[in-house]
Amino acid sequence: MKSLIFLLIAVPALAQQAAAPAAPQSGKPEEAKPAAKSEAAAPSPSPAAEQNITGNVDIGYRWVSGPGGNFNAYRSVVNLGEGPKLFGLDFTILDPKRRLFDRLDIRGNNWGGDPYNTARLDARKERVYNFSFDYRNIAFFNFLPSYANPGDGPLLPGQSPASLPVFLNQRSFDTRRRLIDTELDLRPGTRVIPYLAYAHNSGRGTGITDFVSTSNEYPVGTRMRDKTDVFRGGVRIELNRFHVTLEQGGTTFKDDQELFNAQRNSGNRSTTLLGQQLFLTNLNQAYGIRGDSIYSKVLVTANPVDRVDLYGQFLYSQPRTDTSYAQIDSGNFVLLNTLRFFNGQQDLLAAEAKQPHTSGSFGAEVRLTRRLRVIESWVTDRYHNASSALLSEQLFFAASPADLTRAFSATGLVFNYNQQQVDALFDVTSKVTLRGGYRYVWGDAKVRASSLAASFGQPADFENGEMRRHVGLAGLNLRPVQKLNVNLDYEASSGDRTYFRTSLQDYHRARARARYQLRDDLSFGAVFTVLDNQNPAPTVNYAFRSRDASLSVNWNPRGGKRFGLLGEYSRATVASDIDYPLPSALNVRERSLYRENAHTASALMDIGLPAVSGVTPRISLGGSFFVSSGSGPMRYYQPLGRFSLPLGKHVEWNSEWRWYGLSEPFFLYEGFRTHHFMTGLRLSM
Amino acid sequence: MTALGLGAVALVFSSGILFGRQGEQKAPAGAPAYVGSETCQTCHEDISKAFEKNPHAVVGKDKRRGFETKACESCHGPGSKHAESASAGDIINPSKLKAAEGDAVCLKCHLNQPTHAGRLRGGHARNQVSCTACHSIHKGMEALRPVAKRAINERCGACHTSVWAEFRRPYKHFLPEGAMACTDCHNPHGSFLANSIRTASANEPGCFKCHGDKRGPFTFEHAPMRLEGCRACHEPHGSANPHMLTRAEVRFVCLECHANIANPATARAGVLGGVPPAIHDLRSPRFRNCTICHVKVHGSYVNRSLLR
Repeated sequence: MKSLIFLLIAVPALAQQAAAPAAPQSGKPEEAKPAAKSEAAAPSPSPAAEQNITGNVDIGYRWVSGPGGNFNAYRSVVNLGEGPKLFGLDFTILDPKRRLFDRLDIRGNNWGGDPYNTARLDARKERVYNFSFDYRNIAFFNFLPSYANPGDGPLLPGQSPASLPVFLNQRSFDTRRRLIDTELDLRPGTRVIPYLAYAHNSGRGTGITDFVSTSNEYPVGTRMRDKTDVFRGGVRIELNRFHVTLEQGGTTFKDDQELFNAQRNSGNRSTTLLGQQLFLTNLNQAYGIRGDSIYSKVLVTANPVDRVDLYGQFLYSQPRTDTSYAQIDSGNFVLLNTLRFFNGQQDLLAAEAKQPHTSGSFGAEVRLTRRLRVIESWVTDRYHNASSALLSEQLFFAASPADLTRAFSATGLVFNYNQQQVDALFDVTSKVTLRGGYRYVWGDAKVRASSLAASFGQPADFENGEMRRHVGLAGLNLRPVQKLNVNLDYEASSGDRTYFRTSLQDYHRARARARYQLRDDLSFGAVFTVLDNQNPAPTVNYAFRSRDASLSVNWNPRGGKRFGLLGEYSRATVASDIDYPLPSALNVRERSLYRENAHTASALMDIGLPAVSGVTPRISLGGSFFVSSGSGPMRYYQPLGRFSLPLGKHVEWNSEWRWYGLSEPFFLYEGFRTHHFMTGLRLSM
Repeated sequence: MTALGLGAVALVFSSGILFGRQGEQKAPAGAPAYVGSETCQTCHEDISKAFEKNPHAVVGKDKRRGFETKACESCHGPGSKHAESASAGDIINPSKLKAAEGDAVCLKCHLNQPTHAGRLRGGHARNQVSCTACHSIHKGMEALRPVAKRAINERCGACHTSVWAEFRRPYKHFLPEGAMACTDCHNPHGSFLANSIRTASANEPGCFKCHGDKRGPFTFEHAPMRLEGCRACHEPHGSANPHMLTRAEVRFVCLECHANIANPATARAGVLGGVPPAIHDLRSPRFRNCTICHVKVHGSYVNRSLLR
């Protein structure tokens, strides 16, 4: 990767000789601003592209204080470190002689130890090729307390509070995932465009997970490594009224995971069982999974006559995996069904799974009159997973011969999904469009029976599920004046079959969205959504409601020269109530009540300070907060302040302060707080 | 309809598909005529010069679409009347047309392209979101087709404000940080899958492009992942749960489904998902964090109960 960084910096630097001077760019490096600049406020296209190289590079240093509180929670949420950084790099190189390329774009972000590094290169030569390369390296860290026996509930008979390992994490990981995406299109813009693409995705790291045995589970170390490579190629044929894409691809996959333990491990059960302590002394567990898939894809779009557009897709794939698994462990374990203790186990398993997957869609848009359009679409998606496994298990007893069992299991999953939808859109006037439609969703599934008590070797038992949903659709688009756009979207369903207790059944979903451009430099936006889902069946009694309301304002007087403001506020609520029986006493029904009331706000105010010696410094203040109450209350604050000072035509000094603070009233030990201070230079050309 | 009739319809359609010429329309008498981009340049010099670097400039050199030397008028329509009057009312401005009419201008060329194969299924087309709402045609490459992840997110977040607010939660994908873009997961032009979710490889949810280890096929599948997708349990935009679950604690997610006693008398309750066995005494906190034992909750290659 060092060479990649060097390359990313060196290419534009070497090419700089040919560069003509350019105007410095304003420095707003970090914050993503989710609001559109108004069309009119944006600068008009200027003939600035006389120079061959344009771009900028942001380099600097970040200091991190603390963090106070739970460092592992900080790493799980923010994970930014100290040190010199390449915050951003963005160059465009134009070759007026059009030798190897017409245009080359190079971008990079967050290099220098940050948990997410990206690099991208795009090169194009008109009618010869388009090439893109995208690289990402993302760290995933999670060490938040996660345990089976936290000690915050009633103790079972025989348990003592001291026996509960409160802060132990049993499901953590520290992994990195690297992604590469490349695509080469040949002869773009012509009628026949061959293309080739390659994608790579790999992850590796370590963590803690549980080795589960009867009546106890033992946190142990794990090593993970997986890799997926996707190769694809095809051809796009573009005629004036007809397009077809033919693609053939293949995937290879491998996943190796190991679990290991080499010391006495008492697991989560500190009490004895039938007078004996359960423990693990040694464990080696290894998964070796190999997979592949070949797929074919056909896309067709056509415009046979001016009033009709057609599209269709057909896709077929057959992913397959082979598993070899080995496990050797020793300690003191129990077989509850025979009440026998054993002190060693050896498992070998070989398994295979195949999943032929076919999907297709077809649709048409027919413009019946100048005002009336009808859109019809149909989708089907179906696959069949057939799998089998052969397990050989040997248990070693202290005072009796070893038990050897062999078991074969064949199982699978069948899933058929279909959807048909028709929409009619009618322009009542040039400013009002009405939409009405109907969607019918139906399917069936055959899945492995969900009894979690079923053990390996039992004959596979299956459950059948059906889904049928009739959905009415309506919409309205209003544009009373050029500056105001209102969109309403509503759907309601009375389903009579559903797969799961929490699936959509009798539901209403509505969304209203409005955008008002009061002036060229001032716009407002508002969004409201609601989803109300009910399953009144006596054994389910599910009631779910979520609501979201958000407001946004974007104000940039005089193009934001002196002052700019971007603000958003969002309120989201979730209420989910459902009946459930206690597994230990099925006749006792309880009600699960889940609530989440969240407020989220973010703002960024940008102020141009008075010029000193012809230099105009800028200061930005803002940040965001998330405050929720209910079943899992939480507060997360991210205020920031930024100062930018142009030091010359091509250099700008940027400094930024941020604060991150997380607190959870129910889990105080998961909170953290930290200051970040960054300073650096933006060099532009 | 007889076979002969079907054949005749097919012949008419196929002749249109194979030999028709898009955008080829005869102008009625008295209608404005094409004047060529050079005429436009006399007044709109800044736009014309910048446009030379714009990918759309190729339209003016492309014989097959019939707009050679008329790149400006390929979108704005014949400009003779506007050239005479200099009135904005005498020329088509696609960004000010109704969404469907504005889109029709773009789709004259872009209709038959692979990115638009899912257009009619997409929410943008149904909800009157025009091409120009996201693509600025005259400005530079980045405004026309943003590649920088922050720029893409900025554009999507401008309308989808409540979704963008979810990314202010502590556990989310790295979009505000610029490591990912909305378009990594969604195809704004529409997709085979609901919510315009991108597909990976052939026809799998785009989630598996990065989370390849969750793709399977598994020897023992966890049905909701296949039947309802990742969003059955996860809230990918942002969550209060460290594993980005739809509920703050895992037990809510699992037990809302795994509490089903099928009741043959009430067909509507015949849903999938059984009750955990009696050893799961929910009064004990030991059984409230389901994924501590059911570690392979996405599906297992080895164990029927998803324990390893």
